[in-house]
Parts: sequence; C-alpha cells; structure tokens
Amino acid sequence: MTDQQPDSTHFGFKTVKQTEKVSLVANVFHSVAAKYDLMNDVMSMGIHRLWKRFTIDCSGVRPGHQVLDLAGGTGDITALFSKRVGPTGKVILADINESMLNVGRDKLRDSGLVNNIDYVQANAEALPFADNSFDIISIGFGLRNVTDKDAALRSMYRVLKPGGRLLVLEFSKPEYEWLSKVYDLYSFKLLPAIGGLVANDKESYQYLAESIRMHPDQDTLKQMMETAGFEHVSFHNLTGGIVALHKGYKF
Amino acid sequence: MLSLVPQLICATLEKVLHKVVAMDPASPALLQKIQGKQLALQLQELPWRFVLSATTESLLLNQHNEKVDCVISTDLATLQQLNDPGQLTRLIKQDKLQIDGDLQVAQQFSSLLQQLDPDWQQHLSAWLGDALAHKVALAIKQLQLYIQTQLKQLEHAAVELAQDELALSPTQAEMNQFSRDVSQLQARLDQLSRHNAFRQE
Repeated sequence: MTDQQPDSTHFGFKTVKQTEKVSLVANVFHSVAAKYDLMNDVMSMGIHRLWKRFTIDCSGVRPGHQVLDLAGGTGDITALFSKRVGPTGKVILADINESMLNVGRDKLRDSGLVNNIDYVQANAEALPFADNSFDIISIGFGLRNVTDKDAALRSMYRVLKPGGRLLVLEFSKPEYEWLSKVYDLYSFKLLPAIGGLVANDKESYQYLAESIRMHPDQDTLKQMMETAGFEHVSFHNLTGGIVALHKGYKF
Repeated sequence: MLSLVPQLICATLEKVLHKVVAMDPASPALLQKIQGKQLALQLQELPWRFVLSATTESLLLNQHNEKVDCVISTDLATLQQLNDPGQLTRLIKQDKLQIDGDLQVAQQFSSLLQQLDPDWQQHLSAWLGDALAHKVALAIKQLQLYIQTQLKQLEHAAVELAQDELALSPTQAEMNQFSRDVSQLQARLDQLSRHNAFRQE
C-alpha cells in the first residue's frame, strides 16, 4: 500500500486513479445487483446469513436504537436490525449504489418491513448525518470497496453517539496456511466460473476475489479503526478468518 | 466453523417459532403485552446464553451476553419441570433455578410459551381438506397416547426386571429396612462415642 502514487488506489489487483475507483466499483454493483442475493448464497453456501447474525449478536441492539447499516446492499442486516429496534427505533439503510439500494428497498418492502426503515444513497467517506446520531453503525462487506477507508472510518466515528459501536464485517485473512490455499483455489478458479454461470458476469466476481486479497488484514484494520478514534477495538475471526468482525466503541 | 453454531440454532429456532406463533390466533394479544422485552436463558449444559426478544409479530432469538430485562439460569432437567408453575418456588429454594431481573417478564414469556396453541388442524385442512385433516390430527393424538403408555410400561418393566428378576437393585421395602438399620446403627454409634468421651474425662 505504501508504494502507491498519492492519487492512485486499488481496484482489485489493478492500480487505478482514485477518482476512477468509485465509478468502477459502481459498475460492478450495477451489474451484480439483480443476482446479488442468489450469488451470496451460492458463493458462501448460505454461511453469509450466519456471519450477519453474528454481527447482530455482537451489536447489543435494543428496542429504540438508531442504527445505520452502511453499504447495506440488499438489506439482509437491515432486516435483522429492523425487527430488533421495534417501532420506537429506526434503521437507515445506506448504500452508495442506487441499483443495490433499489433491490434492497423492494426486498424489504416485500417482506413487510416498512415502518422503521429509511433509505439513503450516501458515500461512506462523507456521511450526510449530524454528529452523534447513531447507537450502532454496521458495514457488512462494504469497507473493502471504499476508496479512502480512513476517511470513511473517521466519518463513521463522527456520526456515532458516545457509547455507540461500530461493527465492520468484512472478508479477511484466513488463519491457517492450508485454508488459505484452498480458499485461493476456490476464489480465483471456481468463483469467477460460478459468477459467469449464475450471474453471467465473470469479471465482477474476478474483481470480488481480487479486492478481498487487497483488503487490509485483521490487525491492520484494527489499527486503522484505532487511528480513526475508536476504542476497545477487537475482532472475531469467523470461518477460519475468511471473514472477520471488527468491533469498536466511541466514548 | 464451530463458532457459528449458536447463530445456526437461533436462525432455525426463530423460523420455527415464527411459524408456530403465526398459527396461534391468540398470540398477537399476548405479544402486545411483552413487545420490546428481552429474556435470557442460560442452560448449564450449553456454553451460550440465548436471548428471546418479543416483537408485536413474533419472538426473536439471539445469542449474546448484553444487558436484558430478565435472566433465567438453570439446567435442562429443571427446565422441563417448569411446565408445572407450582414447582417454581421449590426449584428456586433448591438453587436449581436462578432468576435475575424483572420476574414479571419471565412469567409473561413463560405464559406465552405455555399458552401457544397453534391451530394445526385448521392449517392442515387447507392442504388436505377438513375430513382428512381431522383424521390426521386424531391419529397424531392417538400416537402420542400410545407412545406415552408404552414408555410407562417400559419403565415399569425395567424396574421389575432390575428388582425382581436380576436382583440388581433393592425393592422399596428392602430399601426402607436398610435405612432403618443404618439409622439405628448411627444412633448406637453416637451413644457409644458419647459414653467413650465421658469415660475419658
């Protein structure tokens, strides 16, 4: 990461101009939005539902809480939060991508969750909310795609209430060497093939696999959260570290 | 991998609970009373604490150690005895059951779970028709009864086998006789040791 030009960033294994990354990532998600849920189930064999549930279990959510689900995509985490904050609470589903937001909105409305959810198209680097607004912020499989992760973490810190928590659910580095090898084989050979077959979009899933490898590992992300101001930062490895949940508090 | 087992249990049970609650016509009124309340259940046999949360539509399940309205700590055997509300005080006194927090919440949740009476027949009839649904329900009831009687008979036979045929365990009368003998022996021993102490002085 240190050998980059100041105005360049990663897009998978490619190095691109910072200004280009947003639109490149946007293209990926415009392209996968319709088949996003199906692909999640196929790729993770359904385990992504348990990762998301684990996130909720670590959130300390209670009725009446204000929750921000960033990069909420098709609204899985929002749905879990919405039931738990009840009629007195509120969940805001925010995503930078309009296609994903639309798919999420339709899905949540179809499942009858309408009363306590708001939808906002927002960039995580500059959140359009007042300081100290939320009890919980979650970002599930989204931080990876943000261009300036440090700015995003600072922005989340700003809108979080004192005593609130940030939960970052993201792909990470497998804990074991053998798992790492199996996982590499799976994500570089099998995954793009499945992506081509199911969603007819091989390139997007190639990007997905590459972007996971370029994402900071557990300790680096923990360090980044601490630099942004979060305290008591900890992480849990899930499924052998393929995914990690980072938790940090604002005091 | 194992770390996600509680989440799998929660997700599965939550689905089942949702279906059962939706089938019970009396549940919305009961849920209205406890909506927003959380009850935690800590079983000695399991390393995880499960939390039940009530919403207006259903019961949600989570696994965490955050603050809740009421915590029940107990073991599986005691949990089964809780079906009988008369046992509650005895179990608390015997330290088999600890309740921390709002007792009323625990009572409300337990009455909801006990009163849950999903109308299976009604829902089955949509698929099978009224007559067949009734027959199926009747058959299930008879099967339950049959299994209960068979289990009781099996227990009875096992006791008879152990006491009378194989003489592995004593009968009630033998047991009582033995206890009496032990008590008498204990009394004599006490007497003797007092006597002994007196003589040593």
